[in-house]
Amino acid sequence: MRVEVDGAPVEVPEGATLLEAVRAAGARVPTLCFDERLAPFGACRVCLVGVEGQDKPVASCTTPCRDGMRIDTRDPAARRVAGAVVELVLSELPEPPAAHTELAAVARELGVGELRWTGRVHEKRHDMRHPYLALQNELCISCGRCVRICDEVQGAFALTATGRGFEANIAAGIDAGFRDSTCVSCGACADTCPTDAITELSLLALAGTTTEEAQA
Amino acid sequence: MSRNLTALVARHSSLGEPTAVELLAQAVRERGAVVADDVRDVAARTGLPEATVHGIATFYDDLREPRGALDVRVCTGTACFAATGGRHVAELSDGLGLALGERSEDGSVSLGETVCLGFCHCSPAVRVGDVVDAGPQAVARVLSREPRQAAEPQAQSLLAEPVLTRAGDWSGLRRVLAELTPDQLVEEVAQAGVLGRGGAAFPAAVKWRLTRQAPAAERFVVCNGDEGDAGSYIDKQLMEHSPELLLEGMALAAYAIGARHGVVLVRSEYPRSRPALEEAAERARERGLLGPDALGDGIPFDVIVVDGAGSYVVGEETALLACLQGLRGVVSSRPPYPAQSGVRGLPTLVHNVETLCNIPFIAARGAQAYRELSPGATPGSKLVCFNERFARPGVFEIPFGTSVRELCEDVAGGLRDGARLKAVQIGGPLGGILPASLLDTPFDLEPLAAVGCMVGHGSLVGFDEETGMRDLARHLLGFGAQESCGKCFPCRVGLTRAHEMVQGDAAVDRARLEELLEALELGSLCAHGGGMPAPIRSLIAHFPDELGLA
Repeated sequence: MRVEVDGAPVEVPEGATLLEAVRAAGARVPTLCFDERLAPFGACRVCLVGVEGQDKPVASCTTPCRDGMRIDTRDPAARRVAGAVVELVLSELPEPPAAHTELAAVARELGVGELRWTGRVHEKRHDMRHPYLALQNELCISCGRCVRICDEVQGAFALTATGRGFEANIAAGIDAGFRDSTCVSCGACADTCPTDAITELSLLALAGTTTEEAQA
Repeated sequence: MSRNLTALVARHSSLGEPTAVELLAQAVRERGAVVADDVRDVAARTGLPEATVHGIATFYDDLREPRGALDVRVCTGTACFAATGGRHVAELSDGLGLALGERSEDGSVSLGETVCLGFCHCSPAVRVGDVVDAGPQAVARVLSREPRQAAEPQAQSLLAEPVLTRAGDWSGLRRVLAELTPDQLVEEVAQAGVLGRGGAAFPAAVKWRLTRQAPAAERFVVCNGDEGDAGSYIDKQLMEHSPELLLEGMALAAYAIGARHGVVLVRSEYPRSRPALEEAAERARERGLLGPDALGDGIPFDVIVVDGAGSYVVGEETALLACLQGLRGVVSSRPPYPAQSGVRGLPTLVHNVETLCNIPFIAARGAQAYRELSPGATPGSKLVCFNERFARPGVFEIPFGTSVRELCEDVAGGLRDGARLKAVQIGGPLGGILPASLLDTPFDLEPLAAVGCMVGHGSLVGFDEETGMRDLARHLLGFGAQESCGKCFPCRVGLTRAHEMVQGDAAVDRARLEELLEALELGSLCAHGGGMPAPIRSLIAHFPDELGLA
C-alpha cells in the first residue's frame, strides 16, 4: 500500500496505522499513550493528524491506512488540538512533570508553556511500601500504559485503571499497593510510565547513594 | 478493551451467568458496599484478576457509593433540573441530613444521585429501593418515608396506524420465516432506509451486512437498553410496554445476520424494564417464538438480559460491550467495529431499542410501507417524549418532518399554566438547544443539524423563563464531567475545566471556552466529549449575555 505523508510517498504493509506510516516516512507526531510494545489505545489524542478528505483530524495510532491516503502531520487543527490537550493534561498535575519525562518532552515539542488553567488537580497519594516500585497517583495521566504492559506483556494483571472522569487513576491490586498485589517486580510499568507516576527505586537509591556518586 | 480480559471472561463464564458487574451490584444490595472480600470473591468466581475487579468496582455509580438500608437516589437529570432548578436535591439533602453520596453513620439511610430515572413527565423523581416516586410532592413523601410508585404515561401515536406504540404480535417474524431468506430481509431493511435511533442515525443495513459477512461460527445481536440520555424515556416505554415488539425485532435481526444469541443490556436506573422483558421472553419461549426452533428449521434464538450499573457512557456501543461482559464501561477506539469483534470477540450487531422495534413493521409490511410513514422525510416514524414543563407530557409517535412548534404546541399542548417556552433541548444532553425563536424548524435530521441541534434520542426538554442559561450550562457540564469514562484526555480533563469555567458568576472568557470546545469536538474519542460542546455552542449563539461571556 502506498500513502503520502506530508507530500512524501511511503510504502506500508496492509494493516499499518497512520502512525506507522508517519514513522516510516521519517516524519514525526508526538504521542503520550502509545508504546510500540502494546496494542494501540487511542486515549491521549496527541497523535492527531489531518487526512485529506476528512473533516476532522484522526488519531494516527488507531487509524488504519488506506491505499492512496494523504496524511498531513502539520494539519493546523490537529496541532492546535494536540497542544490544547497537553495543556489540559499538565493542568491536572499538582506540580509540573520532571524535565526528563516523556510528558515534559512532548509539552516542549508542542510549545506548551505556561499553563492557563487553574482548578482541580490530582490529590497527592503515594505507595512507597514496595521495595523496588514507587507509585505517586497525583502524577498519573491515565494513559493506561502501565496497566496495559502488565496485562499484555507481563501477564501479571497487578494493575488496573480506577475511577472515571477527572478521578480516573490507577491502582495496584485491590488498591493496597504493589506489595499486596500480584506484581512480580518486573518494572515494565515504571519503564513505560511517561510521567514518573510509577518509578523504579534502584538498589543504589535504597542504599542512600545517588547514581552520580556511584559512577564517580 | 483488553483482549486478555475478554478471553478470561469467555473462558470462565458462559453467557447468561452473572457478570462481574452484576455480582458486585449484588454485594452492594446485600451489604451496602463493595469491600475487599467481595472483590476477591468476584475475582474467584469470574476468573478475572483482583485488580481488574477493583477497577470495575470503582467505575459504576451503583458500586462506588455506600448504600444504606433505605437507599434514596435523587434524579438529577435535565427534566428534573428544568422542573426545580435543582431545589429538590437540596430539599432531600437537608431533610435527610446527608450530602450526595453519603450514608448515615448507623447505615440506615443513604443519599445518592442518579441520571435519569425516566420519569421526566412528572419531575422531580426520587427512587427509594425499586420504587420511583415523582412529582411536586415526591420529596415530601420520601422524607416522611411514604414513597409511592409514580404513574407511567400512556404512549400515543399520531400515525393512522401505530408502528412503535403497539404490543408486538410476531406477525413480521412469521411472514419473514415463511417468505424471505436472510439476505432478502437485509435487502428489505436496506430498502426501508432504517437509520439508528440511538443518536448517531447510522444506516442499520450497513451494520447488518457487515455483521452477516464477518466470518465466524457465532454472532450476537445486542440491544442497547442503556437509554442514559437525560430527559428521554422512550426506550423505557418500549421495553416496559412493548417488550414483545423488541424481542421480535431482535429475532428478525438474528435471522438476518445468522445469530443465535441476543443480549439486552438494561440500565439499572429502570428497575421495571428487566422484569418486563424477562416475562415477555418467557411467554415467547412458551409459544416457541424464542428457544430451540425460534427461527424455523431447528435454528435456535434466545435472549438474555444483563444489568448495567450506572454509567452514561455505557450507552456508547464499545463501552456497552465492555459492560455486558462485566468490565469497566470505557470506550474503545474503532476499528475493530462490533460488527467484526464484539461480544467475546465475535461479530456483533448492536442496535438501540427503538431501532430494533422498527424492524417488525418492515418485516410484516415491507420497505415501501415503512418509507411512506414520513413522506419526504427520514423513513419510518419516531418516538418523541416531553418533560413535565409541558401541559401534556408523555411519549408520542410522530412522522419525521413535523415542526418542533407543532410538537411543542399542538402535541404537547405548550407549557403548563401558560408559561412561556424559552428554549428546548432536543435529543439528550449532547443535543443542541433550540431557542423559542427557531421553533418552526422541522423535526428531522438535516433541518435540526442546520441549527446546531439533532434528533438524538428524541426527547424534548422544554425550559420556561425561570431557567437561567448559565445554570443550564453548569448543569449540563457538571453531568458531562461526572459521566466522562476517563479514557480520552480531552474529555477526561476538558469537561471538568469547562464545568469550572461556568461555576460562580465570573465572566467566561469566550475565546478560551471556544478553544476548549474545539479540543473536545475534534479530539474526543467518542460522542460524549465530542457532543457535550453542542448545547454549549447553542447557548453561546442564542444566550451569550445570560451565559456571561466576555
